[in-house]
Amino acid sequence: MTFFTATHMELLKIRKSKMIWITLAVFTMAPLMAGFFIFVLKNPELAESSGLIGDKAQIFGVADWPAYLSMLAQIIAVGGILVFGFVTSWVFGREYADRTIKDLLTLPSHRMVIILAKFLAVLFTNFLLSVYVILLGVAIGLVIQLPRLSYEVAMEGGFILLVTTILTLALSTLPAFLACYGRGYLAPIGFILFMVVLAQIIAAAGHGEYFPWAVPAIFSGIAGTGPALEIGSFLLVFLIGIVGLGATVSWWMYADQH
Amino acid sequence: MKPLIQLSHLSKHYKGFSAVEDVSLEIEKGEIYGFIGLNGSGKTTTIKMLLGMIRPSNGACYIQGQKIGLANYSLWAKVGSLVETPYAYSELTVKENLEIFRRLRRVSDPAAVQTVMDQLKLTKYADKKAGKLSLGNTQRLGIAKALLHKPEILILDEPSNGLDPTGIVEVRELFRYLAYELGVTIFMSSHLLGEVAKIATKIGVIHHGQLLQEIRTEQFKDLLNKRLVVDAKEKEKAMAALNHAGYQAIFNATGRIETITEHAVRHPDEISRYLVSEGFPPTHLAVEEEELESYFLRIITQ
Repeated sequence: MTFFTATHMELLKIRKSKMIWITLAVFTMAPLMAGFFIFVLKNPELAESSGLIGDKAQIFGVADWPAYLSMLAQIIAVGGILVFGFVTSWVFGREYADRTIKDLLTLPSHRMVIILAKFLAVLFTNFLLSVYVILLGVAIGLVIQLPRLSYEVAMEGGFILLVTTILTLALSTLPAFLACYGRGYLAPIGFILFMVVLAQIIAAAGHGEYFPWAVPAIFSGIAGTGPALEIGSFLLVFLIGIVGLGATVSWWMYADQH
Repeated sequence: MKPLIQLSHLSKHYKGFSAVEDVSLEIEKGEIYGFIGLNGSGKTTTIKMLLGMIRPSNGACYIQGQKIGLANYSLWAKVGSLVETPYAYSELTVKENLEIFRRLRRVSDPAAVQTVMDQLKLTKYADKKAGKLSLGNTQRLGIAKALLHKPEILILDEPSNGLDPTGIVEVRELFRYLAYELGVTIFMSSHLLGEVAKIATKIGVIHHGQLLQEIRTEQFKDLLNKRLVVDAKEKEKAMAALNHAGYQAIFNATGRIETITEHAVRHPDEISRYLVSEGFPPTHLAVEEEELESYFLRIITQ
């Protein structure tokens, strides 16, 4: 089995699952909501008449492209931890929940090929989800005709979106290990939800830069300021990514597969 | 000749519990080895160790002389397996499930999927999602996955599970054909001795993780208990006459006279003559053989 074939088969399983289409539908809601809020903010008369929604929309500051792109990055930072983690949990956990792992373990290939193919398929799928959210968000922004669109704004916004996506993707390896260790989806999904809640608390306490699950959101500007993180915060995120990858590989290679 | 499959002093211990204890066995090419045991006796754990899914606490498994381990993954190209109840990707069709494994196993012939579906009578379910299959057809799909790459060795855990009587016969015939015509070596576990005895060339009985007995199928006849069952109009008197002659007769559960005395079992004609001469001619006289399941239970409770 070549690595390419294994990755292709993993992508086929993802494409044929209900999971990916439900995830896509849920993730679609996020840019639609962001577009709605920015539309309310852009139209002060609408904000006045919409009461609570108008008040909430004020949180985003001004209705222009820099604020809107930052909002999209925040969606990826927070929503991505949940959605990317969910996709990862499914790709690894379903083999245990559906008991199909036994067929994969007796393939005439090194187990590393299967694990890395799964990770590549997850990475590719999550990256596409991120690109989809960004493109949909940008399309909504263009329809609303937000002001201050320039080459510099597009480049800066694009950079923040890209880095936020990469940081969020790096955090999705640990759920893969938990899916294998817990032999299903429940353990990783519970873990992801707990980490998202914990990230809010730790970030609110002012220590978010030390907590990997809070780093993407801080970088995306959720605290209202621009990206002002030290290199250590980024390294911490990538360290978690490497630990998750290593733990998953070790589990497949050395643990008893009941 | 080197055995094709070899388990050498295989043991698996968990905290305070021994799932498999010092199991050694050898299987030659073209043999069908029936691995019999009750639920929880260690059959599946042994099979998982043989397939490299579980590491043995002691001992080792060998296929074609090569030790099972992470580095010897190329061995699995020659092995087809089915462990416990088979499962498939429920959202994919039967054909898609098989196609995935054809590609993962690098079977170059695209017709292999159709061939194996025909062999297992799955063609009419080709476009049905695996999650919608009956238990029997899911089992057929599991066996189809095991056969897809035309393996030299089949390792099957309870392959008759969930199959209806017709399916059991069809699968039995298929295994016979694979072993006797194509020389495929089959190692199959079951808790049904009667079923396995119909095709196995050799049987191993495992209980509480220990291999209690290995029997060649042709030896079975000699090992099964036999009894002579007699009926007569005057049962009490007929039994008294038999006991008087030293045959240790008793009434069995059906109310007939029964003796396990070797001479009576070997010479029922003499018993008949004797009863006639005593004035109690038999209305029924038959040598009955112990049921296989009863033999199995006797072995594991000894």
